[in-house]
Amino acid sequence: MNGTTSTGEDNATPLIECRDLTREFRRGEQVIRPLDGLDLELAAGSFVALMGPSGSGKSTLLNLIAGIDRPTRGTLRIGGRDLGRLSGRDLADWRSRQIGYIFQLYNLVPVLTAYENVELPLLLHGLSRGERHRRVSEALARVGLVDRHRHFPRQLSGGQEQRVAIARAIVTDPAILLADEPTGDLDHDSAAAVMDLLTSLHRELGKTLVVVTHDPAVAERAQRTLHLEKGRLVAAAEITR
Amino acid sequence: MTRRVSVTGLLALVLRRLSRRPLRTGLTLGGIALAMFLYTMVDAMRAGVREATEAGPDDRTLVVYRENRWCPFTSRLPQWYLDRIEGIDGVVSATPMAIRVSNCRASLDVVTFRGVPVESFLANPPTGFTLLAGETTAFRGRGDAALVGEPLAARRGLRVGDRFEAAGISVVVAGIFASDEPQDRNAAYVPLAFLQESATRGSTGGEVTQFNVVVDSSDRLEAVAAEIDRLFEHEVHPTSTRPERAFVARAARDIVALVGFASLLGWAALGAVFGLVANAMVLAMQDRVRDHAVMRTLGFTGGVLTLLAAAEGLLLGLVGGALGASAAWMVLTVGRFSLTVEGANLELASDPAIALTGIGIAIAVGVVAGLVPGLQSARGEIVANLRTT
Ligand SMILES: Nc1ncnc2c1ncn2[C@@H]1O[C@H](COP(=O)(O)OP(=O)(O)O)[C@@H](O)[C@H]1O
Ligand SMILES: [Mg+2]
Repeated sequence: MNGTTSTGEDNATPLIECRDLTREFRRGEQVIRPLDGLDLELAAGSFVALMGPSGSGKSTLLNLIAGIDRPTRGTLRIGGRDLGRLSGRDLADWRSRQIGYIFQLYNLVPVLTAYENVELPLLLHGLSRGERHRRVSEALARVGLVDRHRHFPRQLSGGQEQRVAIARAIVTDPAILLADEPTGDLDHDSAAAVMDLLTSLHRELGKTLVVVTHDPAVAERAQRTLHLEKGRLVAAAEITR
Repeated sequence: MTRRVSVTGLLALVLRRLSRRPLRTGLTLGGIALAMFLYTMVDAMRAGVREATEAGPDDRTLVVYRENRWCPFTSRLPQWYLDRIEGIDGVVSATPMAIRVSNCRASLDVVTFRGVPVESFLANPPTGFTLLAGETTAFRGRGDAALVGEPLAARRGLRVGDRFEAAGISVVVAGIFASDEPQDRNAAYVPLAFLQESATRGSTGGEVTQFNVVVDSSDRLEAVAAEIDRLFEHEVHPTSTRPERAFVARAARDIVALVGFASLLGWAALGAVFGLVANAMVLAMQDRVRDHAVMRTLGFTGGVLTLLAAAEGLLLGLVGGALGASAAWMVLTVGRFSLTVEGANLELASDPAIALTGIGIAIAVGVVAGLVPGLQSARGEIVANLRTT
């Protein structure tokens, strides 16, 4: 975590580039299209809030950017790389280096301690135990949980769990942080603490941050707010600060 | 893009996933161990039956019995048959034998006394006869001395000099011996005259239960047997002569049938236990569909997750299998069980090869039970799997 993004992009060329991005799901005869021909560019190092009613395709878009889902049509280029052309293995490898994903419900592995949860993504990087320890400790310190290494998820509050999840997302020093309603399940104070943390990661470490949210207070922190409706961007609702 | 995973870190992960669910892991291990125990015991019984009843190329022993009699209590032959048997061409030696058993029914703890003429027994001992403790002089010296087979001595905790009683017969242990033949080593040899005197009222001296006849070549077993039976065909006590293993198979046929049936039950129970264990493992893996989806989001490939699941199954199979096999081995080694019916012995033998096969099966079941759901959760769509609760 040296504060530079590892894609080597400057802000002039977009880090994330969607063209005619479409995702369809088939349910029997019925075709659901949560994303419908989306065109979008996001600059490296930017902080973007993604808003819109429930079912408008926010999570679907985030999952495509995260490389855990594939578009039905259109292209998605991130850091100049066309994700659609990557094999499953290569895409997994790309995720492990470029993406930090933060879920609404934290999704920590229940049988692992906070420390072990944060260590999990590092197991794929062939690091020594000592190096892993250094990075995990640093990440947990960054989220303010130095004294919670040995705690299991069930022994932590929701806010603390989410901070462990954030530590897990940043421990590999990815360029992009994606958060799907990260404060959706938290009380006001915990939510504010989590957003302070995410904002600082954007400001201090230069992470590109995309946050899906329903909370106007969260969106207010972002440089840019996008509105999705029925799988399309509502241009009139876009705000740039 | 090459990937260098941290093998020790992943191994620690496998161990943590097992150790942090101690109840589930314990029950699974217990199930595998139980199945393994069953498997080993059933196979030990089958091995015992095989050893005692399946003819081998080196078999050279015939048993001469009273025709149409199947129990040592009812088979009575005159001892003077000996001279005529010894006169038959191809007979190397013949030993008249009076047999008393503490229990004629099938039992796990029967003492079989074999009364033999001391000098001819020592001159022509059974194949593989080795004295482990004591001396033959003691056997010669006193009338109530006994040479006891090692498994029998172990089962009864007998040492040289001990006096023990069974079937109303009281003897002193003069020696303990090992032998290649299950029929010999589960018996106590005593002087023939002593057993004839101790015999139940109504029987007179000069009677024996059977003759054990050693033939010069296994090719001639049938011919010599036929010759013996022809010789006594018109006597008051006609004989029925068979190779020893065939004799045991006939005498113990009820128990052999029972062992066959028990094996079936054993296999069924084994299948049921393995089915339940596999089911438990599959359920455990399905509980992890979401965890696996999260790990794939972090960059784990389906291949790595599948390997982790397989490693977990392998560990469960290995440890559970080893536990069950060792338990069975201990029970068999300490118990030295020998199923005896009508004087015929079937030993329950612990064979390391059986245990190894069993552990192999346990590992295979573990790996498959881990692999199948592991593959499923590794292949399914991440996004769909993340939505499962
Ligand atoms: N894996 C899937 N299979 C079928 N339908 C899906 C799947 N994922 C999302 N959808 C549907 O797509 C629509 C948009 O979902 P989503 O992107 O999660 O919306 P939101 O904006 O609330 O995050 C919803 O109607 C949802 O039911
Ligand atoms: Mg959503």
